[in-house]
Amino acid sequence: MKVEYINPFVQAAFSVIESVLGETPTKGQLAMRPLTFTSQQCNVMTGVTGKIVGQVMYGMSLITADKIASTMIGQPIRTFDQLAASAIAELANMITGNAISLLAEAGFLCDITPPSIIRGTNVKITTLSVPGLVVPICVTQGAIELTVTLRER
Amino acid sequence: MAKRILITDDALFMRVTLKNILTKQGYEIAGEASNGLESVEMYQSTKPDLVTMDITMPEMDGISAVREIKKLDANAQIIMCTAMGQKTMVLDAVSAGARDFIIKPFQAEKVIEAVKKLIG
Repeated sequence: MKVEYINPFVQAAFSVIESVLGETPTKGQLAMRPLTFTSQQCNVMTGVTGKIVGQVMYGMSLITADKIASTMIGQPIRTFDQLAASAIAELANMITGNAISLLAEAGFLCDITPPSIIRGTNVKITTLSVPGLVVPICVTQGAIELTVTLRER
Repeated sequence: MAKRILITDDALFMRVTLKNILTKQGYEIAGEASNGLESVEMYQSTKPDLVTMDITMPEMDGISAVREIKKLDANAQIIMCTAMGQKTMVLDAVSAGARDFIIKPFQAEKVIEAVKKLIG
C-alpha cells in the first residue's frame, strides 16, 4: 500500500477530532500491519470504493469508545447503546468522508460505504492481499488506531 | 406556526444532534428518516418545509432521494448534510436540486444559517 494514501486520513482525523472533541490530537509512530492482526476491542470499519478500494478501520479500547461517545453526546453514557455506537461510527464516517474529499483533490475519486462496528476481544482481522498501515491518533480519551488498507483499482 | 423539517441521516447520533439544534431554534421536526427511501416516503406523508439530507446511506443514497423528492415537488427545499465534500458530490447534489451543502462536522450556527436562509 502506498504511504501517500494514509496522509489524507491523518489530516482529516486531526481536523474532525479538533472540531468534534475540541482538542488537538497527537500522532503516534506509523507502522506496517501484518496481513492478519488482532483487533482492538471496538473497531469501526468503513469501506472505500472507486479509483482506490479497501478498508479504513478505527480501533480503540471499550473505555476509549465510551469516553469519546460521552464527549460527543455531551453526557456520560451508562451503556454502549445505539446512540453511543452511532456517535463512534459517525466520528469514523466524518474522518473517512473528509479524507475522501482530500483524495479527490489529489485525483483519486472515491466513495465510502456506511460504517459498521465490531466489538469484542481477540478478534483476528485478515486484510487478505493488502497489508495495512497503522497510525495511532491520541486524544485525552485514549488512543484511536487508524488502520488503512487501500490499493488502486 | 413553526416551520417543519424532515431530518434524513442513517446515523442516530446525527439525527439527534440535528433535532436538538433545530428544535432549540423553534423549528418542528416533521420526521426522522434513516435512509433515502424512507425520506421520500416521509416527504409525501409529512409535507415538510425543508429536508436535511445525508448522502451515504443504505437502501437509497441522498442524491437519488433528492431527485425523487424533486419529482414529487419541484419547490422542495433540501439541504445536503454530509461528510463527503468533494466538488463532484456538491455538483451532483446541486444538479439534483439541493439548495445548500453543509459538510460534517458542522457547527450549529452553520446549520441554523442555512435553514434560515431558505425557510426563515
